[in-house]
Amino acid sequence: MKALILVGGFGTRLRPLTLSVPKPLVDFANKPMILHQIEALKAIGVSEVVLAINYQPEVMLNFLKDFETNLGIKITCSQETEPLGTAGPLALARDKLIDDSGEPFFVLNSDVISEYPLKEMIAFHKAHGGEASIMVTKVDEPSKYGVVVMEQSTGKVEKFVEKPKLFVGNKINAGVYLLNPSVLDRIELRPTSIEKEVFPKIAAEKKLFAMVLPGFWMDIGQPRDYITGLRLYLDSLRKNSPSKLATGPHIVGNVIVDESAKIGEGCLIGPDVAIGPGCIVESGVRLSRCTVMRGVRVKKHACISSSIIGWHSTVGQWARVENMTILGEDVHVCDEIYSNGGVVLPHKEIKSSILKPEIVM
Amino acid sequence: MGSADERVVAVIMVGGPTKGTRFRPLSLNIPKPLFPLAGQPMVHHPIWACKTIPNLAQIYLVGFYEEREFALYVSSISNELKVPVRYLKEDKPHGSAGGLYNFRDLIMEDNPSHIFLLNCDVCCSFPLPGMLEAHRRYGGMGTVLVIKVSAESANQFGELVADPVTNELLHYTEKPETFVSDRINCGVYIFTPEIFTAIQGVSTQRKDRANLRRVSSFEALQSATRSLPTDFVRLDQDILSPLAGKKQLYTYETLDFWEQIKTPGMSLKCSALYLAQFRFTSPHLLASGDGTKSAAITGDVFVHPSAKLHPTAKIGPNVSISANARIGAGVRLISCIILDDVEIKENAVVIHAIVGWKSSIGRWSRVQASGDYNAKLGVTILGEAVTVEDEVVVINSIVLPNKTLNVSVQEEIIL
Repeated sequence: MKALILVGGFGTRLRPLTLSVPKPLVDFANKPMILHQIEALKAIGVSEVVLAINYQPEVMLNFLKDFETNLGIKITCSQETEPLGTAGPLALARDKLIDDSGEPFFVLNSDVISEYPLKEMIAFHKAHGGEASIMVTKVDEPSKYGVVVMEQSTGKVEKFVEKPKLFVGNKINAGVYLLNPSVLDRIELRPTSIEKEVFPKIAAEKKLFAMVLPGFWMDIGQPRDYITGLRLYLDSLRKNSPSKLATGPHIVGNVIVDESAKIGEGCLIGPDVAIGPGCIVESGVRLSRCTVMRGVRVKKHACISSSIIGWHSTVGQWARVENMTILGEDVHVCDEIYSNGGVVLPHKEIKSSILKPEIVM
Repeated sequence: MGSADERVVAVIMVGGPTKGTRFRPLSLNIPKPLFPLAGQPMVHHPIWACKTIPNLAQIYLVGFYEEREFALYVSSISNELKVPVRYLKEDKPHGSAGGLYNFRDLIMEDNPSHIFLLNCDVCCSFPLPGMLEAHRRYGGMGTVLVIKVSAESANQFGELVADPVTNELLHYTEKPETFVSDRINCGVYIFTPEIFTAIQGVSTQRKDRANLRRVSSFEALQSATRSLPTDFVRLDQDILSPLAGKKQLYTYETLDFWEQIKTPGMSLKCSALYLAQFRFTSPHLLASGDGTKSAAITGDVFVHPSAKLHPTAKIGPNVSISANARIGAGVRLISCIILDDVEIKENAVVIHAIVGWKSSIGRWSRVQASGDYNAKLGVTILGEAVTVEDEVVVINSIVLPNKTLNVSVQEEIIL
């Protein structure tokens, strides 16, 4: 079985993290975002993953080389030279996706994090016998998204309504598809939208079915959603594999700590915290609702909440970092500094407090 | 120096509860003159300076606070100084000169040759012996302590012009609209007893004028009632201005620090200035520690002996910690005044702030300000018994007494 992951462009919404690495390589819950997807695909027997990418394919492939051998999965790139929308990249990768088997293939959006019930999706796809399956998820505010209107009992998709003003349903496209190879015949090699141009046609022929995603779903393409996504991910870990969560008197709620990280005395960590490999958290530190990426040092008595601390950054003694502060790679917050929503580009030293959310170039 | 039978009396004007409203919310709990700077009541610093005056017979504090508010302090400082200190309560505000005149009989009981008059709300090194010596040399009725300030800031004060050779006061204008001089009145004076005659002169003059108006017309009567009462005499406008240039008043310039203590924010700056002065005058009052057995101390810090500091805390520069305060493990204090019975819990941070009596700062919470002493919210002030819960951040804010903060605030005044 094969799969295509739509990686796309520069990941500007996740800057300053994506100034250091392409978005799929940004760590989420101590693992590059794209590995969450590749591992889920490998687990259900996918043998080849094609990355549809239009930016830095060498960096991606270099990075993924190790995982190719470790996971025993083939990873290739299909590079767009111009943006092709959400459907065009499928046409571009057509030759890589089609083989003699005639099996359906997965398409995943790289910004999305969920429990990936891909096995259930295969079963669903086989059961309805249509041409394409899409995963949908329930949201609170459907007017912000494209709503999928479907038949409750069978999942047969009736239509797509983009950002509806009146309520037509609360299920939206979750960005996970399982498509028969014949779908590729419907896509031309030009910038096109899968939601607006391809799926409506299949739906009109009553060959498109939607499966409601069990569990959580989050588009983590921007920092606020990234932090919420970590909470949902850790909640799901608590249900499905609680042994992966940290325990101890200094832990509250769901926390993951890489085994190579060191945590000092008198800390209070959690809820919803990820501490990456090689991190040093000194004594008396408070961490909540935050991600501390590989190689970060948090010095004594510092306090971090609702923030992302980029790779190899340091947070000084008695510093406080909060309210959607995003530190890019190798940022150094000096002792006793307060950052309230500072978004800091890589390789900076912060010597004076940031009292209101602002971008530090 | 003067002969041994020359006696000197010092009078310190402390004001009253209707004054110093800009010092709220800290003055809601305590008379402003007793608010601690560098761990000592504000009035303690001029009193302590008086100790350096030769032949000092008596110190009077004059104000219109209730006597009981000063009773405890006055008795303890008298014992400490071995000089009698008395609080004299005015029945109402009489102005700085009027207040002095009101108690002339008491003040003259000791038959002093010289009378110092000090305002309590100025912060300076009070170079009193030097002033006394200069005053004797000049041979006038009074000598005013002056300081050079920036031309832009001078108009908030009394601006004056002095003869560069004789130091005679040639001209005096209180808070002028246009620039007069960059030399200003520090609110510290020395007088001979003739000052009472001069004050009486102003009072009599005013009485005559009021009587004259009263008979003339209804209109004049109205303007007379609006004018000042006859026993209200200001030192600056009523004495210094008219007597300037008459070879009766002289100036003595200080090159040390000088600030006016009108706002809580300024009290933090003045606390720093007095702590720095302790390096030279009272080094035993400054704390030390390297973080092994006792808390790490950096810069000038005062810690009351009854306060408890965890050895992992780091304190300073410019911190004063009052009685029975408890400073927990991993706490960081920078540029702040911690008042009596405050508890600061583990890993909390306090920067550019004044933490009121009995307040409690939670774990990993943060109380901070920009440290701009002149800005309205440049120093964070917590009134008495304010509770800041764990992990809450309070930035550039003023919190009135008895409030609990469970969410973070910034740039707010919390009633």
